[in-house]
Order: sequence, then C-alpha cells, then structure tokens
Amino acid sequence: MMENSPIENDAVRRFSVFHRFLHIFVMISFTFLAVTGFSLSFSDQGWAGLVVSLLGGAESAAGFHRFCAALFYLVVVSHLIWLGYFKVVLKGRWTGSHTMIPNATDWENILQNFRYIFGKGEPPLFNRFSYLEKIDYWAVLLGMQSMGVTGLLMWHPEAFSAVLPGYAINIANEFHFHEAILAVGYIGVVHMTATHLTPEAFPLEKSIFNGRIARRRLKAEHPGEWKDRYAPTAPSEGTTDPADAAS
Amino acid sequence: MKTKVIVPAALGAAFLLMGVLLLTKSEAPSPAGAVSQPEPAVVAVAAPEPMEAPAPVELPASTAEKPERACLDCHRYANINTNEGVLAANGMCNECHADPACDRTINGHKASLHVTPEELGKYPHEFVACVQCHADVARSPHQSDAGAQCRTCHSVHGEKTAHAPHLRVDCQACHRRSEVVRLDKTDYRVKLAGVDADGKPVDLSDHRLAEADSEDNCRKCHQADNVVGAPAAILPAKSALCILCHPASLAFGHPIFALAILIGVAGVFLTLRFWLQGSVEGEERSMHRKIDLGAEAVWRTVFSRKFFSMLRVLFLDILLQRRILKESVARWSVHSLIYTAILARFALSLLAGIRFWFDPENPMALALMDKNHGFTGFIYDLLGLFILAGIVWVVIRRYVVKPEHVVTEIADNVAVALIGLLVVFGFIAEGVRITVSQIPPELGIHSFIGYFLSQLFSLSDWNWQRVYPWLWWIHALLGAAFVAYLPFGKMRHMFNTPLTYLIEDVSGVKREKRV
Repeated sequence: MMENSPIENDAVRRFSVFHRFLHIFVMISFTFLAVTGFSLSFSDQGWAGLVVSLLGGAESAAGFHRFCAALFYLVVVSHLIWLGYFKVVLKGRWTGSHTMIPNATDWENILQNFRYIFGKGEPPLFNRFSYLEKIDYWAVLLGMQSMGVTGLLMWHPEAFSAVLPGYAINIANEFHFHEAILAVGYIGVVHMTATHLTPEAFPLEKSIFNGRIARRRLKAEHPGEWKDRYAPTAPSEGTTDPADAAS
Repeated sequence: MKTKVIVPAALGAAFLLMGVLLLTKSEAPSPAGAVSQPEPAVVAVAAPEPMEAPAPVELPASTAEKPERACLDCHRYANINTNEGVLAANGMCNECHADPACDRTINGHKASLHVTPEELGKYPHEFVACVQCHADVARSPHQSDAGAQCRTCHSVHGEKTAHAPHLRVDCQACHRRSEVVRLDKTDYRVKLAGVDADGKPVDLSDHRLAEADSEDNCRKCHQADNVVGAPAAILPAKSALCILCHPASLAFGHPIFALAILIGVAGVFLTLRFWLQGSVEGEERSMHRKIDLGAEAVWRTVFSRKFFSMLRVLFLDILLQRRILKESVARWSVHSLIYTAILARFALSLLAGIRFWFDPENPMALALMDKNHGFTGFIYDLLGLFILAGIVWVVIRRYVVKPEHVVTEIADNVAVALIGLLVVFGFIAEGVRITVSQIPPELGIHSFIGYFLSQLFSLSDWNWQRVYPWLWWIHALLGAAFVAYLPFGKMRHMFNTPLTYLIEDVSGVKREKRV
C-alpha cells in the first residue's frame, strides 16, 4: 500500500508519474524475466519444474519470457522518446549536474564516501543522482541493449544464422545467461541494499512509488539538488522543475 | 613433480580431441558447401505417399544388385538430430528414391517417386532426414497412414497470416507447389490430392515449398467453383479491431481497417484534448503541467484507500450496471443483453489471442480460435443472439412502444443501426460460411444459428462461394465503421459513463447531484 497521507509539508516531489510508471513496468518485467529465464536454464531443478508447469509448460514460459522482454524494451524506447520530449518540448538539458551523465564529481564522491564509511570525513554531497544511482541507470540502459541483441538472436536463430555464423547463436546464449546472472545479482545485492537497507529508508524506500521524498532526506542525501531547488531566492519556473529532469 | 607431467598430457589430449572434432566436422555437410556436394543424391528425400488409397509398395526384387549388408544396416534408428544420422537415414531412402525409375502405379498410370536434390529445395529442409517428416514410412509394408508431419517441428500459425477456417487445411495444401487440392470427406480437412479429377496421379515428388504468401498460391482454392469449399475471393486476415468480437491478431490488417483504427484513436485523442481545455488544479496554460498534475492526482487516488471504493464502483455500477437497474429493470435488461454479450465476446477473444501468442500449440487456444469447435461455435452464437435480442428490444421500445421519457436522437439511430446490422450480417455470413465450407452436421450444429441459416441457404442453388466474400466485406466494413465511430457518436458513453462514475465516487458527489 502506498502512502495515503495528504501532501505533507515535509515532502517534496522527486519522481514524476511517468518515471514511477516506467519503474513499476521495469520492476515487474525484470522479475518475470528472471523467474522464467532461470526456470528454463536450470530446468533440472525441482523448483524450475514447478514454475514452468505453473506457467503452462516450457513453450509457454518461453513465450512469457519474450513478452516480458518486449515490455521491458518498450520501457527503454519510451524513456528515449521522453528524453527527446524533455529536450525539445521542456527545453531541458541532457548534460549537467542534474542529469545521469557521469562527471568528475562522481569520482570525488566515491572516494569521499569511502572515507566517510571508514570514519575519516564528512558524507559526500550528492547531486540529484548519486554515483550508485547513475550506475543503476547505465547498467539497465546499456545492459538492455546487449540482453536485447543476444535475446533476439536466440528468438530468431534461423533469420540471424543466415547472416551470422551458427556459433554466434551459442555465443549469444552464453552472453545472455551470464549477463542475466550479473544483472540479477547486481539488482538483488547492490540495488536492493543500497536503496532499502539504509537507516533513513528501511524497511522500504517508497520515493520511486509515491514520487515523494521528505525534505530533510532530500537535504541530507541530495544536498546538491536541495541547494539548487530551494536555496536560491529566485522563484523556480514550472518547466525547469528538477523533478522532471530525471533523465 | 607430478603436475608437470599432467599438463603436457592434458594438452596432448586436448589437441587429439580437437583433431577428432575437426575431422568429424569436415565430413558433415555445411550449408555453404551444400552446392558442391560430391554426391548430391545422398541428401535427397523420399517422396510422400500419394494421399488416396495408400497401398503397400512392392519393393524392387532386384536386391541382388545391392551390396551385401548386415541386419543392423536397416534395423536401427539413426540419430537424425545429427548431420551424420540424417545422411545415414537418408542413404536408405535414396537406394530407391534416387533412381529415376522409382515409381508406382495408380489407376493404371505411372507416378514418379524419384526425388532429386534440386527438387528437395534449399534451407531449411535440405538437412532434415526424410523420416523426420515421413515418420511412419520406414517399415514393412512400406506405406504411410498419416502423411508427412509438419507439426512435430512447426507450430500452427495464427489469424495474422490465415483465417481460423484454415485450421481445417493441411499445411501441405498451401506450402507445397502442387495445385491439385481436395476435401477429405472422412475428416473434412483440405489436403493435397494424390490423383486429379480424371483419376491420373499427381506428381508430388517436387519438395520445394510454395510462396505461401502470394495470391497466386491462394487461388489454388480461392477461385470460383472450387471443390474444397473455399470462398471465391481472397479475403484479408482479421485486424486488431475485430478483437472486440472475434479472436484476431494485433496487426492493423487491410488498409481500410488500419484507417478505421486510426480514426478511432484520433477520436480518443481529440476527446482527451477537449477535456484538457479546462484548468487542472489551477493550471490554465501549460499542457505539460496539466497532464503532469492530472496524472499525479490519478496516481495518488489509485494508490490510496479510495482504490477499494473505486473497485466497488467498477464491479457494481460499471460491470453489473447497478444504477441502471435502480432506474428501470427493462432498461437494465436491454442494456445488459447488448453490453454483457459484447464484453464476454471481447474477453473470450482476448483470452484466445493471448493464450495463442504464448503457446500456439495449446489445445485451449486452438479450440477458441477454431470457429467450428463445439464450445466456440456455441458460445459465440449464443452471445451474438443476446446482442440481437437486445437490439430488437431497443427497436421495439424506441420506435413502437415509445415511452414518454425515451427521447430518440439521430445518434441513437446510428448506434442501434450499426450494431444491429453488424450482428445480422455476422450471422448471415456465418451461415453462408458453413454452407460453403461443407462443415459436417455433427460439427456445424454447435453454431446453432449459423447452422440453421446454412440449411436455409442450401435450399437455394445460388453460388454461395461467390456470395460469401460480399457478405464478409459488408460485415467487416460495418465493423470498421463501428470502431471508427466509437469516440464520436453515442458509443462514446462506453468510456465517458464509467469515468464519470469513478470521478463522482472519488470526489464524493452526492447522489442527488449526480448527472
């Protein structure tokens, strides 16, 4: 159940409805992709047999896997279209401190964070997106391209082996499988712990679901964004609200 | 010390293994090298058994000319999943079928069973064992009961490329080049014919695949006065708009359907634009902000406790039409007959489409796709009858009884006429389809209205094969008009009314003030 309280004075918007929507789609399709994909690769395991039979057999599970893959890629395409909309209609910027583009500050932040973790300094002053969030973003955006290409090769082996040598399908299979383990491992270990297992957010980081974040948390976790949005005395214009700038 | 010995030994073993692998690989044919295959006869495939009256073929008595062989040369099952196994298995078939003199006699005429590599065609069947498809011929007596099997490897394709009636057509009838087709009266399937109309055998040794997409290929059956019960014209596949009432693909289909869908979608966008003319939460100008604020409000409402109250409205007021029932039982009955039946047909069609997409071999998906299946034929006819009954009731109320409070506008007439004609022509087209396709009574009877009509039609000696395409087009164009008209006319209430109910519920409008 999502947050149901009236707009707290203490909360500001961090993610637009569109981005919450995309995240839910990615979340669901990623989970089903992992469940169906691993059930098919580890087919000799008991749990895999159970999952596959629940989905109506191996063919059906494979169909479901491809459906979720198409859904996932639809999110990627929607995001890219949104980037165009952000640039052209909202007159936003693709580069800069509020965007997902990595910059030198991120490297500083990583070092500063390690100093902080070992008790040798202040916490780093993250901007709108911390380096971990940038890694999350680029891992998905780039990872989806390679998963998409290798997946397509296995989806239509006849068509691709007319152009590529036959062993390309086997290579694609290996890549797809190992990258899947990498992706699930990364999401399961890094993404989950880095978002939910923090004292401020535990047990559940809700801001990607209700789009809101407490002012004091924004100030503590994204001081750079806080400074740009609330510190300047000039009133912020509607279309340049950084809440829309989640590129 | 020991490990130093093991490493070179392991390396040596690896090289040996690689050498063996390379050697075996060079023996196997590769797609690129197939053209220059030194012994082309090796990859030939056995001819299919002529489909009619399969009689055991006398194997040549001249086995003395053949080389000496051990029992296991024949009595074994080669692993046809490997290229070596395919070559070994095909070698047996080719002992006879590579011989130009290989033939059989049907009705006093000789039919060639000689298969050449050129006639076998290219990819993908070039490297498939004969017995992979002709699964039941390697036995004594040498004959086939089932014919060549396609669906052990291939799954049946859906509405996009072929209509549901093609579920009663054998794969070979479209995908092989032979032009002679017949309707098998034992299982009512359309098949390739082994003999032509004069009883002469048809040469089926050419294994190349036909261009199944070309219209010329469709005209094998789809021409005037064909014997297999196909309509005399080639009709397009169903479009995504048909999924309101029939299982259909998600393709646009024929340009007319695509246009109808585009008009419908454009209408929805125009309506949304009209709605967004007003201010949203105080925002007057920026469309981006209006959509943003509106979406935020919807999001917050859906993910709140109000969700359950919305669910209640959805079930009671929208699905079960409680508010109409409170007004008048007659009105509720009329409305439910039409609306529930269309909704049920939509749900069934969607289920069939989704199930088929995930697993084309699923028996339930195939049953729901097949118009002649007992359940599908019955339930679609019954639901169609409900819609028709509702429309008839509406017509009586509006134009005969004329209660005072019922005001009939032009938009009402258009809506009633569209749905009514759509259903009437649907039933007529179904009846003619059953007449034309010669569906046996035990199958056709499930579509009780269509079958009844087909019996009526068969009393006349009209050429129904020529009539059917006209009926199909009238029904399809009415359907296209219905979808294009959805966001403009009376049908708009399908979206407006539920939305109004939900908004009233969420914003707490009192009953007296409801519109």
